[in-house]
Amino acid sequence: MEAFLHMGGYAAYVWPAYAVFFVVLLIDFFAPNLRRRRVLRELHARMQRQKAREARKAAQRSPSDDSGPTMTPLDS
Amino acid sequence: MMPGSLRAACVAVLRRDLLLAWRRRGDIALPVLYALIVTTLFPFALGPNDDLLARVAGGVVLVTVLLAMLLAFDALFRPDLEDGSLEQLMLAPQPLALLLGMKILAHWVSTALPLIVIAPILASMLHLPAHANAVLVLALLVATPLLSLLGSVLVALTAGTRRSGMLLALMLLPLCVPVVIFAAGAVSAAQEGLPWIAPIAWLGAALALMLILAPLACAAALRIAIDA
Amino acid sequence: MKWIPLWMHQLSSPPTFYRFASVLRPWCIALALILTAVGLYGGLVTAPADYQQGDAFRIIYIHVPSAEMSLFIYGVMAVAGFIAVVWRLKLAESVAMQSAPIGAAFTFITLVTGSIWGYPTWGTWWTWDARLTSELVLLFLYLGVIGLYHAFEDRRQGARAAAFLVLVGVINLPIVHYSVQWWHTLHQGTTVRLFGPSKMEADMLWPLLVMMLASKFYWAASLCGRVRTDLLSLESGKQWVRALAEREGR
Repeated sequence: MEAFLHMGGYAAYVWPAYAVFFVVLLIDFFAPNLRRRRVLRELHARMQRQKAREARKAAQRSPSDDSGPTMTPLDS
Repeated sequence: MMPGSLRAACVAVLRRDLLLAWRRRGDIALPVLYALIVTTLFPFALGPNDDLLARVAGGVVLVTVLLAMLLAFDALFRPDLEDGSLEQLMLAPQPLALLLGMKILAHWVSTALPLIVIAPILASMLHLPAHANAVLVLALLVATPLLSLLGSVLVALTAGTRRSGMLLALMLLPLCVPVVIFAAGAVSAAQEGLPWIAPIAWLGAALALMLILAPLACAAALRIAIDA
Repeated sequence: MKWIPLWMHQLSSPPTFYRFASVLRPWCIALALILTAVGLYGGLVTAPADYQQGDAFRIIYIHVPSAEMSLFIYGVMAVAGFIAVVWRLKLAESVAMQSAPIGAAFTFITLVTGSIWGYPTWGTWWTWDARLTSELVLLFLYLGVIGLYHAFEDRRQGARAAAFLVLVGVINLPIVHYSVQWWHTLHQGTTVRLFGPSKMEADMLWPLLVMMLASKFYWAASLCGRVRTDLLSLESGKQWVRALAEREGR
């Protein structure tokens, strides 16, 4: 095992080369996964916001018909 | 010459661009000044050793001219894009490739030609021998139109983007590697007393090919980059 | 044979390709991992040391597959780019543009491992050797394509412009390669002793072939992952993406 790690005296060259290979490919592999998660999460959040807005609008319209048209919430 | 005919349109585009360049004469002087500054800096960096300067002179002047042209490339389509005349050109009934070819010609005359005029002076400041200097001018006469044509395709591709300076340099590098190799190869061959005609002939062949292909590619690239 | 164009047509629709890529990807990952394990065992353990270079030659098992992939991916990108420029197919644009970062990664690995390998064998980590220089120019080509793609605000337009640049590069690449070779013979100043293509023993050769195959499967997996993500953000208003976000976005 030690001889294997020693690489006949070339360990300082062989192992860094393999490290570069694996590190670069791991980054290449996981970058789109993270991006995919982010894209889906952002879209989900946007859909949630849209749904909440529609619900608020519907709730506003039906029960408060007699309170007059001047009562509009500030955060709309 | 019929107004609206192909020849009239070409002459009109050429005349307009040359006139515009002439009205802004200061802009023509800028690349020349840039080349002068860069060439002056080299002896300060390398030391006033005449032999060393003579050995690198051809390459230094070539790369300087290339960089000066790169600086001026942005002005090829940008003013026309901003005032909308490029879109008019694209809508014109005449073939776009030919009109763009005229624009490239006008751009070459107004930026590369002054550089070619000043290049032998810069080279002799760096002690390039006279016979190699003649080859340098010849190499530039073939290489600069080639660079203009190649560059025009890339400028057309970046026409629709906002920032393009560094990007253009990055995109142009792979294209100009062969041009620099052959032009500098001819100069250094002449310097060593070897036959130098072969690399110039290769450049000439590439130029003949690009004279046909580059305007067509430029037109196609422009249609991709600015279709709404 | 009518089902081939039909199948291609169906596959090129983004939701279908998304499902296809999601199914294909785990298989490719598994095959790539198994083949890499086998190839590296063969290359690092069972293959004998080279009689000239000792154990330093074992870098070949990552260097040569990466170099091959850097060119192979450019070829794939060029085919997809051609389809994108001519037929404006959304999937082809996506494949061409998502290939570029993978190709750039392999080109980078080729340059770095080549430099590391060069130090013990040539005595210098960088030399203006024809192959190294061409590889460097290839890296610049990849970076130019990526840069142009991101310079546009409209992503599909950027993809088409960058695909056009890929096609220009296809013509340019052999010219660069041969002119760099000519340049190298012209300037005989630096003569670095390169090891010729010495005959490889079968024990040394088979791990290399296995690693080349493994890198192909890795590429397929990575491309599936990237194109899948890209299609999601390109089609983010469509129903199938919204349904997916409903399920997986929390």
